[in-house]
Amino acid sequence: MTTSPNNLVLETEGLTKRFGHRTVVDDVRLAVPRGVAFGYLGPNGAGKTTLIRTLLGLTSASAGEMRLLGLPVPARRAEALARVGAIVEEPRFHGHLTGRENLEIVAAARGRAAYELIDSSLEEVGLTVRADDRVKTYSLGMRQRLGIARCLIADPELLILDEPMNGLDPAGIQEFRGFVRSFVGRGRTIVLSSHLLDEVEKTCDYIAIVDQGRVVVQGAISELRNGGKPTVLIETDELSRARVLVAAHPAVELVREDRTGLRATLRDPAAVPDVNRSLVEADVNVLRLEPLQPSLEQRFLEVTTRLENAA
Amino acid sequence: MTSFAMELPNRRLVSADLLKLRKRRGLVLVTALLTIGVVVIANAVSETMHLINSTKHGPAGGVTMLGHFGWAIAALASVAAVIVGALAGSGDSDAGVYRELVVTGRSRLSLFLSRIPAALVFVLPFVAVAYALEAGASVVFAGFHPAPSIYLLTVTGLWAMLSAVVYFLLAYGLASVTGSRAYSIGIVLAFRLAVTPLVAGIASLGVVRELLPGVALDNLTPTALGMAARQGPTIGMSVAATAAVLIVWAAAALVVGGWRDTSRDA
Repeated sequence: MTTSPNNLVLETEGLTKRFGHRTVVDDVRLAVPRGVAFGYLGPNGAGKTTLIRTLLGLTSASAGEMRLLGLPVPARRAEALARVGAIVEEPRFHGHLTGRENLEIVAAARGRAAYELIDSSLEEVGLTVRADDRVKTYSLGMRQRLGIARCLIADPELLILDEPMNGLDPAGIQEFRGFVRSFVGRGRTIVLSSHLLDEVEKTCDYIAIVDQGRVVVQGAISELRNGGKPTVLIETDELSRARVLVAAHPAVELVREDRTGLRATLRDPAAVPDVNRSLVEADVNVLRLEPLQPSLEQRFLEVTTRLENAA
Repeated sequence: MTSFAMELPNRRLVSADLLKLRKRRGLVLVTALLTIGVVVIANAVSETMHLINSTKHGPAGGVTMLGHFGWAIAALASVAAVIVGALAGSGDSDAGVYRELVVTGRSRLSLFLSRIPAALVFVLPFVAVAYALEAGASVVFAGFHPAPSIYLLTVTGLWAMLSAVVYFLLAYGLASVTGSRAYSIGIVLAFRLAVTPLVAGIASLGVVRELLPGVALDNLTPTALGMAARQGPTIGMSVAATAAVLIVWAAAALVVGGWRDTSRDA
């Protein structure tokens, strides 16, 4: 990452969280630049929520250092969190209170300025009309939006959202993406964790891919996408024999079979003609051979243990 | 804001915690029934019976009836206070809202402390109104019985309030430790209604019985009320020992509850 350290809104160094002998967050080094949507992407159980809980002081770190908005935490946690909004797991509320009253409760903890932002926050998430209804009558999507409103009353420089797309219908997801772009457009930063690769790719500018508690790669999505290994799609009428031949080629790192044919990940992009030749010389009819555009999905699979499961 | 100021509960925080309680209709209803409702019903029944048959049933007022009803108010106000304390101590955790408050950066100690005045502001007015009604009834309905003096009315009221406050603090501290409203209510009520009378009745335990808050509170029962306001045996304690027992129990509940509330994973 090329951003200077003083322009980072979130930094961790060697951050580790253990529960007994189990290491859930493992020596994590994160650097989140200001003014971006940053996706913390990983499969379920990768330690995403635990990292967020540790950053926010909901649980203590076993080792390592953290800085939020340039301030060391937990030493200056209160100052840092005053300008941070966060939703951990699903947003929770007092169901017997109205949406507005729930915001008033958090505003009381945050301070006088937060009260003045209640109306505008409700308006920004489209809940003004239902603000005086009890939260127990809200749908999951409305609760997600109220959770965002609760964050916004802090006038946050940094929003940390844990799986924010959970429970949203397609329209809600579209709306959420719009909110993220609008928020980032104001020079603010969003860190969101998700296991939904497609959503992260559509919503974020930067990502860190996490697997088994470790950040295995991070950077701008465009850079990561281009950093993936070349893959070709091969269609043939003899899939089984072709798979054996392609897998045996020295330039091929991995072969997967799907509905459209074989997907071969190459060590060297220049080896495509040679792979084709090896099939043709073995009398396998090659119906299609097409280099695929690098995707984040491919990169994700390359760097997580799912690659091993898929192989 | 300095870190010291962040530790102290402010007026807004207390108001917010009060809002959480007073918007629970069920809690308001139960608290009102256990305090005001009981006094109204008991006096109405007692006075009606007296009016129907004054030779068999005495008047609803007077010192003796203040003793009976004062004891009932103290006991039932304690039950109401236990319910409120347990709810105040575990409400945010039960609703999953505790972590939402912690991520604001507000100190956990401040969040813990602010719930105490809020809950007391909620429950004590019910106790005060109930006792005021009883005090009025004890004078108005005294009939041929001696009416209680202003001094007796005042100390009896304070004693009932103190009983509610002590059991509130025990329930609040325990709920902060367990995070469970149901367990906390069950444990404190069992302690208040079953364990305390049982232990107090075992004479061979001697001075050990004085360590119970219920025994200390019983020891503070206004003498003028006589046995009408007592449930168990009289165990003599000095005022200093009584105060020390009550302070230690209340402080222990708050220290342990506060420690657990500020140190657990949110």
